[in-house]
Amino acid sequence: MTFEPGDRVRVLAAEKPGHVRTPEYLKGKAGWVESVIGTFPNPEELAYGLSGLPQRPLYKVGFRQIDLWDAYTGSAEDHLYADLYEQWLEPERGTT
Amino acid sequence: MGGVHDMGGSPAGPVDKGQHEVEDWERLADAINGALGAKGLQSTDQHRRAIESLEEYRDLSYYERWVAATEKLLLEKGVLTSDEIDERAAEIERRWNEP
Repeated sequence: MTFEPGDRVRVLAAEKPGHVRTPEYLKGKAGWVESVIGTFPNPEELAYGLSGLPQRPLYKVGFRQIDLWDAYTGSAEDHLYADLYEQWLEPERGTT
Repeated sequence: MGGVHDMGGSPAGPVDKGQHEVEDWERLADAINGALGAKGLQSTDQHRRAIESLEEYRDLSYYERWVAATEKLLLEKGVLTSDEIDERAAEIERRWNEP
């Protein structure tokens, strides 16, 4: 488990072919680890009939809506939460 | 670019929230999926991957995608051949059209 609740993280802006469950609109965006959901077989591999092992940590990651949408007019306190696997996250050292 | 299923956040018109009666074949599609899962012949992740890779994705309804993806997986795994599926479909059509 690399990250803990409260850690700043950024979603990799990677293009990966195949079965990817990280939504396009979050790629490259910074947020924070809200909670650790657990570890699970990797769905990117399960999708092709593989074992998905070793299990990968899954996090509930929070984002500010204003960081996601160019024309967002709602409150700066509006959040979006997404379940993201560890292989899609890197530490964020910026101060957004 | 995300896959064809990864459309969250894309510009779009209003969402159609209309409901429709679930048809018998749609219930059957759901049941077959459950049975294949119970027999270890298909998993949710495999099914999702097959759905996302359908070339005709945008032209199909929800359960049409399910059925097309299940067929694709069963062919891929060698559980059924396309000849077997076509023969069975033709047989059902004959029976359906009988007076």
